[in-house]
Amino acid sequence: MSLAYRSAVRMGSCVAVAAAAACAQQTTASSGGRMETAVAGGRVDVPVAGRVTLEQVRRGRLLVITHACAGCHGGGDNPANPNWLSGARTPQDEFVIGPFKTRPRNITPDNVTGIGRFSMRQIFNALRYGLRPGETPDVEITSMVPGQGNFPSQPKYLAPPMPWPEWRHMSDQELWDIAAYLKHGVKPVAHRVADSEGPPDFWAGAYADTALVGPYPARPFPTANEEFRP
Amino acid sequence: MMPRFWLLLTLGASAASADAVVTPAAAPFRPSTAPRPPRTVEFNLTAAPARLSIVPGTTTDVFAYNGIVPGPTIEVREGDSVVVHFTNKLDVETTVHWHGLHLPFTSDGSPYHPVAPGETYDYVFKPRPGSAGTYWYHPHPHHATANQVVRGLYGAVIVRAADDPLPAALPEKVLILSDNRLRPDGSFDLPERASHQGRVDFENGREGDLLLVNGQVMPTIRIRSGEIQRWRIINASAARVYRLAIPGHTFTHVGTDGGLFERPVEVEEIMIAGAERVEVLVRGTGAPGDRAAMQTLGYDRYIPQTRPADWDRPRNVLALEYTREAPMKPVRIPETLRHVPALDPAQATATRVMSLSQGMINGKLHDMSRVDVHARLGATEIWEVENLVGMDHPFHLHGFQFQVLERNGVPEPFRAWKDMVNVPKHETAKFIVRYENHTGKWMFHCHILDHEDHGMMGVLEVTE
Repeated sequence: MSLAYRSAVRMGSCVAVAAAAACAQQTTASSGGRMETAVAGGRVDVPVAGRVTLEQVRRGRLLVITHACAGCHGGGDNPANPNWLSGARTPQDEFVIGPFKTRPRNITPDNVTGIGRFSMRQIFNALRYGLRPGETPDVEITSMVPGQGNFPSQPKYLAPPMPWPEWRHMSDQELWDIAAYLKHGVKPVAHRVADSEGPPDFWAGAYADTALVGPYPARPFPTANEEFRP
Repeated sequence: MMPRFWLLLTLGASAASADAVVTPAAAPFRPSTAPRPPRTVEFNLTAAPARLSIVPGTTTDVFAYNGIVPGPTIEVREGDSVVVHFTNKLDVETTVHWHGLHLPFTSDGSPYHPVAPGETYDYVFKPRPGSAGTYWYHPHPHHATANQVVRGLYGAVIVRAADDPLPAALPEKVLILSDNRLRPDGSFDLPERASHQGRVDFENGREGDLLLVNGQVMPTIRIRSGEIQRWRIINASAARVYRLAIPGHTFTHVGTDGGLFERPVEVEEIMIAGAERVEVLVRGTGAPGDRAAMQTLGYDRYIPQTRPADWDRPRNVLALEYTREAPMKPVRIPETLRHVPALDPAQATATRVMSLSQGMINGKLHDMSRVDVHARLGATEIWEVENLVGMDHPFHLHGFQFQVLERNGVPEPFRAWKDMVNVPKHETAKFIVRYENHTGKWMFHCHILDHEDHGMMGVLEVTE
């Protein structure tokens, strides 16, 4: 992996620092070996198409704004911006990372040029696991081991710098809220963004490097670097 | 009662043992065109291991139908009652899928009717009037189609009309295109799935630098100056798309998957995606003694990450050699070929949206026990096939041929019967289909064989 890429990932991670810190969550493994993210105080509100609530869409909207999705995907901090989330428009919107070129794609719910044909589960899996929604089945994933628990045996990852540190440790509820907003809170915009010229998926697997990105769920508190200091 | 005939195909060694060395492409370029009334025709077809020489000086352990690669050309007429007595002498499960033919579910050769090693199976069908065209047969076992086709199991089916509008005087050739990759010792290069090449093959579909026509490398077709030849071309490659051109020549495009168009179309090049067929007239416009080559030009069907570095290099497919005979007077080609009855979109009772992504349809992998589309026998429906990703996917529906209405919103310029539609990266195709005559479970899938095996497939169930 090139140095250029490492630094790009680190830069990307800065965006997520606030998220990780703000997220008072606890992860547990249930008896079936299934991973579960428990959010203090309640049930996870999994959105169902046709019954998505305005409240959930608003929660997702706030997360999208505060986590700067539109810094790359179009529109900055302003949902009123005409380019809101509809993807790269100029060469300046592209990232060149070593030999690779990443073009932030249209994440409005347009059926062909955006994410309209992907289920909220596929968007959830993209944010949690970095799996490309168009190339990962619409199924619940319960393991991080390729070939087990519906984790694809040949995982297909998003082009860097998406998505590892930024989203993977958010709570299930937060990820579902983002998926609900993207699918049910944004007008579809037909705008085709050329595909990224990122690494082939089988190279991108290297980005799951635990030393760089860390496992999901995160290692239990405290690690050697941490202590509880009341 | 129709008289019963036995047409036992004896092209090549019909009972090839693994030790037999058979020159590939014993199948001739030219099928018989003699007219005759419909009748019952029976064929014996056996899939078995064989040893052939594909590259001179080496031998390759292949899978072969009746000992030859491609398998024998099965030639029938509209209205014939066809029975193919199939025997599986491989040590693996297989089927014979009759690609493009309208036939009973039990004769479709889909993964629902596997034939175990040592078993036999009768495929029974009756090509209906209007279905004259070029079809092909190949295995379609669950998760193992690519491997068996690549090893040599494919062959042509020609359905002839009683009243073919093209002059019978045109010399006719069946050209089955395939490609392969051999190791220096002649064995197939079939890498482990987890290797780098295995993953590239999985992503792109397996391609090879060895381009074969009827199992031969760069064969020669002889043509007389002024002569017009009728070529039926089948793409039996696992994934390669051909953009064929003969420098200095044009093609008269007369037909596609399900037979002739209404009118011929003059083209400079012709694209044949996976499993598609074309019928073209090649005009001998050169002088006696001239030589030319049919080439396949580069076509970018790939995602950038796994696009071969030399994807746009033209490659020679076959040599065209003019005889020294004096030029002949060209045969006249009719301006109208036949009537292709239109399916009427106003009759459509449903629109099915199929979203193709890399390896999936509508976000799902294939499941034999799941039905993805339920439909009624006799219904007319529209399918909109959207490609969400940056690689072409050739889409195939079993059992029922369809008519393409639009590609990317552009109306199809001429009406034709198809069973394949290539959906280029990020484009859409819309077709109309009527589920006639046969109930059953019909697969629809990407015809990049590695994608199909991976599960880029769904099931249409047609019920009374």
